[in-house]
Formats: sequence, C-alpha cells, structure tokens
Amino acid sequence: MRAILESLLALALGVLVGAAVMAAWGRDPWGAYAALFTGALGNVRALASTLSRSLPLVLTGLTFAVGARAGLFNIGAQGQMLLGAVVALSCGLLSLPPGWHLLVALALSALAGALWALPVALLKLTRGVSEVISTIMLNWVAHWLTLYLVVQKLSDRVVGQRTFTVPMGMRFPVLQGELTWSWTVSVGMALFLFWFLWYHRQGYEVRAAGLNPRAARAAGISVSRAMVLALLLGGVSAAWAGAIQVLGRFPYAITSDLANLGNLGFDGIAVALIGRNHPLGILGGAFFFGVLATGAARMGLRGIPLEMIQIVQGVIVVAMAAPEALRLLRRLRARQKEVVPA
Amino acid sequence: MGAGAKPAPFFFMAEALLLAQGITKVYPDGTVALTGVDFEVQPGEVHGLLGENGAGKSTLTKIISGLLPPTAGRIFWKGKPVRFSSPREALRAGIGMVHQHFALVGPFTGLENIALGAEGGGLLFPVRAEAIRRRVEELMAASGLQAPLNVPVEELPVGVQQRIEILKMLFRDVDLLILDEPTAVLTPQEVDELFPILRRLAQQGKSVVFITHKLREILAVTDRVTVLRRGRVVAVRKTAETTVEELAQLMVGETMVAQAQRSRRPPGEVVLRVRDLRVLGPEGRPAVDGVSFEVRAGEIFAIAGVQGNGQSELVEALVGLRPWTGEAELLGQSLRGKSPAQLSALGVAHIPEDRHALGLILEFSVAENAVLGRLAPFLNPVGGVRWGRVQRFAQDLLVRFSVQARGVRAPARSLSGGNQQKLLVGRELSKSPKLLIANQPTRGLDVAATRYIRDLLLRLRDEGLAILLVSADLDEIFELADRVAVMYRGTFTGILPAEELDRERIGLLMGGVAAEGARE
Repeated sequence: MRAILESLLALALGVLVGAAVMAAWGRDPWGAYAALFTGALGNVRALASTLSRSLPLVLTGLTFAVGARAGLFNIGAQGQMLLGAVVALSCGLLSLPPGWHLLVALALSALAGALWALPVALLKLTRGVSEVISTIMLNWVAHWLTLYLVVQKLSDRVVGQRTFTVPMGMRFPVLQGELTWSWTVSVGMALFLFWFLWYHRQGYEVRAAGLNPRAARAAGISVSRAMVLALLLGGVSAAWAGAIQVLGRFPYAITSDLANLGNLGFDGIAVALIGRNHPLGILGGAFFFGVLATGAARMGLRGIPLEMIQIVQGVIVVAMAAPEALRLLRRLRARQKEVVPA
Repeated sequence: MGAGAKPAPFFFMAEALLLAQGITKVYPDGTVALTGVDFEVQPGEVHGLLGENGAGKSTLTKIISGLLPPTAGRIFWKGKPVRFSSPREALRAGIGMVHQHFALVGPFTGLENIALGAEGGGLLFPVRAEAIRRRVEELMAASGLQAPLNVPVEELPVGVQQRIEILKMLFRDVDLLILDEPTAVLTPQEVDELFPILRRLAQQGKSVVFITHKLREILAVTDRVTVLRRGRVVAVRKTAETTVEELAQLMVGETMVAQAQRSRRPPGEVVLRVRDLRVLGPEGRPAVDGVSFEVRAGEIFAIAGVQGNGQSELVEALVGLRPWTGEAELLGQSLRGKSPAQLSALGVAHIPEDRHALGLILEFSVAENAVLGRLAPFLNPVGGVRWGRVQRFAQDLLVRFSVQARGVRAPARSLSGGNQQKLLVGRELSKSPKLLIANQPTRGLDVAATRYIRDLLLRLRDEGLAILLVSADLDEIFELADRVAVMYRGTFTGILPAEELDRERIGLLMGGVAAEGARE
C-alpha cells in the first residue's frame, strides 16, 4: 500500500518536472502528455503496441529482481538477453514441426541464458569476484559475439540490414496488432517467480540468503546454492526476453545494428526498481515503460523534439525508480558497515 | 542530589543541566517508544536510567544525544531550548554518548582514536600531536582513567577500550556523559574500577547518565535514578532513599520471584563430548586453543568469561559455522565435517548470541522466522510451502512461549528484543533437540524476559536436556549452572562445580588469574 502511494508521488513529481522542462522551452506540456496518453492507450491498436513493448522488459526486470532478492546486484541481463535472442533465432536453421519448433527455440534460448549466467556464479563462489564486474564483462563478450553472428553468419542474403526471418512455425501467433502470444512467457515467468519466491522452499531460501546471509547459513541454508539459483533463473528470464523479441515481434529477425534488441537488459533494471523487485510490481513497471515508449511517438507528432521526449522519459523513470534504488543502496551500505569490527 | 543550590520556593529544582520535557517518540512503523517523558539531570550528579529493554532508555538517550529527533517535546540544555540534528551538534554543545558497541578504529592507537575527528585534533603535526598527548595525559590523571595511548586499541581488553571511549568524550570537553550499559562487557573487577571513576567525574562537575538494568549497580554508583517502564517515567528517586526491592518493583511493575533451584537429580549420560578442540578466529589466530569438556543430559554446563575470549568461536564451531580440529561427539557420533543443517538434524539447537545477525531475519515475518531452518515438515511434495500450516505452527509458538506480537504476519523487527528472543528460543526447542547451545541467551533482555528464559532453561534441564550455556553474566551463571568452566584467551582456566564458586574466585579466573586447585 505504502509502496503504491510512494510510486504515485514519485510519478507526479516526475511528470511535474518533465512538464517544467517542456514549458521552459516553450512547448505545451499538458498537450504533450495528452498525446503520450492517447498514443499509448488511446485505442486497441495503441494498447497492443504498448503491451508488446513491455513484454521483454518484464523478463529482464525479473532477472534483476530475483538477483536482488538473493542479495546480488545482477546487471547481466543485457548479455543474456542478446545471447537468448541469437540462439532462438539460430534455431530457425533447424527444421522441426511448427509449434515444437517454437518450444525448442525457447528451451535452447533458456539454456544459453543459464550458461551465460553460470560463470558469474562460479567466479563469485570460487574466487569472490563481484557479480557486478563479471556481468559487465560478460555483457560485452555477448554483445560482440552476437554482433558477429548477426552480421557474419545469420544475415539475410537479400536484405542486408537484418538477419533471416524466423520461420512461421517458430513464431508466436498474433493476438492483436503488434501483440502476440509471447505475453504468456512474460506473465507466466512473473507468476512463476512470484510463486517461487514466496511459496516455495528454494525461493524462501533465496530471500533468506539475500536478507541475512549469516542467519541463513546458521539455519542450514546453503547461501551459495541460493545465489546460483537466482543467477540461473535470472539468466533464463533474460534470455527469453531476447527470444520473444525475435520470435514474437516484428521484424521476426535481429537488425544488423541490434537496434530491435536495444537496451532491454539495462532497461530491465529500471523496470525492476520501479516494480520494487517484486514480480507483480514488475508487470506494472514494464507496462509503464511500454506506455512511455509507445506514447513518445505521438508526442513527436505534436512537435516535441526527440531529445526533449527522452529527457521527460528519463526524469519520470528516475523519479519512479529512486525510492527502491535508495533502499537498495542503504542496505548495501549497512552491510558494509557490519564488516567493521565493533 | 549533587552540590546544586537548595530549591527556591517557587522552583521545582535548581537549574538543571539538561531538562527534557514531554518527550514523545513514535517510530515510523507506529511503535510508540516514549510517551511524555520528563527527564532532568543536575550538574555534577551520576544519574541512573533504569528500565527493562524496550522501556525506552536507549530511545531517550538517542534523542538527547542528537541521534534521533523527538516526535514531540522540548529539550533545554543549560537553560536554553535546543534541537540537535546530529550527534556531532550535541557533542559540540557538550553532550557525549558512549554506546555499547564502541566507535573505535581497531588498528589505530588510543591517542589516534581520541584525537580522531575532534576539533583541533590533527595529529599530523608533531607539535600539535605532543600538545594533544599532554592534554590526554592530564585528563587521565584528573579522571583516573588510565589507558595506554600507543597501542592499537584492538589489542586492548574491552574494559580499557571503554576507558578510551570515555577519554574521547572528555577530550571533547563534554559536560554530560551518557554511558549505555557500560558494565555489560566488563569483568567484575573492571566494574569495580569504573565506578570510582564515575564518582570522581561527578565531583569534578561533570554529569553522568548511567544506563543499566542491573539494580545493584544503580545503588552502587548513582545519586539519583529515573525509572522507565514502557516508554513512561514511573519514578524519579534519590538513590539513598530507595532499595533494590523498590526499584525492581518499579521497573518491572510486579515483584520478582527469588533465585531458582539447582538440579536435584544426578546428571545422565554424556551427550556432548569435546576433546582438545581448536578453532581459528576471524584473523587466523587461534581463538579456541585446546579445550575439553563434557555436557551430560540433565545438566547445565556453563562457560563463563569476559566476551571475546573464544566463546563465540567455540560455539560457532559446535554448530557447524566454523572449521575446527580435535574431537567432538554427540551421543557417540562424531560431529566432524557436519554442516549446520546436519547438526540441527542430529539434535543440536542453537540460541546464538547475536539474534539479529544469526538467529532471525528481521525483515521476515514471525511465521517465516518460526520455520527458519526447520521448513521441511511444512512442504508439499514439490517443495511448495504450506503457509497455512506454518502460520498455525507460528501461532502456537507465540502462545506456548508467550511471545507478544501483532500477529504471525508482523515482521520480526516489530517485536521487542525479549519477544524476538522468545520466538527464537521457541523455534529452536520445537526441533526437540538433544543438546541446546545457548550463547548469551538473556543478553540485552528485560527482567521479565530474562526470568522467562532462565526458568525455561531450568525446566528443560530438569526434563533431561543437555544444555551448554555461554554467558558473561555472572548472575546468570550462578543461578543456572551445575558446572562452570571459565574461559580466558581460548582455554579453560578452570572447571568447577557450582558449589565451589564464589564471585571473587570466578572473577579472578575470568581475568586470567589461574585459581589454585582449579581442575583442568
């Protein structure tokens, strides 16, 4: 309850600051916001587009959230997402019966994401390498590897700017406009992780290990296992974000500049913070992100320059993410303090 | 009362050094810690602040020393209204607080710690450093607080560290010194040394607020005492005009029962057998250096000693949190290489000394904490948690161990210290253990909760449980133990049956003075 109130206050603050920015440069802020609103939610078509954009963000948001619940600062979603996308796409090279093809692609994509998360866990547990460092480095490895594969190995022979497109039997069926049945993956994962974290022993152990590792250890909980689990689940979730972006959304391919995968992984961090690292909150946070992304186009039609739209988006996102981000930081600082002997 | 002027007819008291009026504190989570508290300290007095844990002592002193803002109420310092927004401001005005956990930098010397952060405390310039040293030495001579200045404080005993903390405050020229449970970490001898120093400070015109829940200490050292109960002031007394019985009654609100009885039955089979146990401490130095003992069914084997002499490491080794060498057997079964989960399954229950760090997860609810480490019976075949059953189990624990909580969904953080401890103890006992390891089970608890826990331990012993009790509290040792080992620097300086104990002797053993005739 308090969290929702806090978020609404932050939203209002962000909107006001955004309005002030637009007003200061002589634009009509309320008209622009109205455009944002109708552009994102004004009709079924717009709503479908908004939802479609928010689906992968749910998954990358979950990656960060499940890590945070285990006491980790996992920013590896970007790399895992890229690999998940490219592995899912590569499955198009196989020939399998329709439907099964999609399931196999999702399975292999998940495997890739988990494998990409594994070194993070191993380095942390055997060598004490901070997951922040290892995930940043692995993100870059994944980035260049993906780019190489997309440009050199998977590109379309006719249309140079993208890879080949996903065969029909491997695509998510269209539900409405831009929205496809890939929503089941995002919503399903969010519901699964919600159940996992609050209704399953292992999720309970993940949360215990994240909140108080010493007490968890004293109670016989394997903190390392909880961390590994959180990282692997996060890897799967992030990989699926890439997969559904390729298998469930136009252009059903990866563009040669990776633009249609963009910063889904990093945006997921903001989504997780807006959603208070809670799977159900993340559904809301991702939707909110989708609204900002879709509505921006309509704001552009009202003569608001792209840069200003981005400023407004940024201000609102920062305001919304701030409360949880501060909470995380405070907890980190408290943990550092504990290390100092009394 | 101190050397203040006689009260004028129209004034309640001589001008107070510190006067707090109508202090109310409501924490953000809705907990009301203080309700309309009036508190007043005269110049040159030692003023006791007595109350159970959760009575509001620390909240009140935190407000006075600028660590917490009051929700309502006014504070007058030397007659002027003040509002400190940080401990630094309060310190500058002349109010210094020594917390239970010292704020010392371990590798720094005493002198460095004293100068650190003080105005004009720069040690970089040799001339200044010399001046600072002279000033500290003057303070030591005047106050009687002797401490080595050139040794890293982490190498000093706790009692000496405490002196350095006090010197730190005197160096900042405070007029009011607040000591939060200063005797909790001291040996009896160290306590005996501290009290005359406090008296001397008072004679020199400083005021001391002395927080404790030990009645004897109030009588020994204070001029006046303010008694808090559940966030309200229940009495202000001149120490000379009150008694232990009256104070106890004021503090608890009921008359306490007298000493418990020792076990009448002979102890049973050996439950825990430890031979030549060695454990390395956090810094790689041997913390436990070869101890041997047995704990039998139906006895309380106590390990006494000042904190930091290896007791924590010994306990952590026995519950699987720290590697060790030597031999340890539970009912004939070796404990070597067992994980905490395995030990728990074998029947070892553990009440850790720091329940916040090791025993509970404060952000978790009461129900979630009630099954920490014993979730297995509440799982369905796929590993899902049957929260309905967990909640009924937690509810049952609350009733059986008289834990006061808003409910099983309330976060553990919202419980008072005593109730947190009862919850923890209840959980550990619900495992039906063979051996209970209780490390400082009543530290920081209020009188009623302490009584409850001690009675519970005695009852469990009479029911045949083997109990290993680690305590720095001599009263607790005397009341509960059937046999006592005194631990000093990683070894036992003696193992004695309870009948052979007296305060003097155990104090000497705790201080490392080997007792004649002590058996190894």
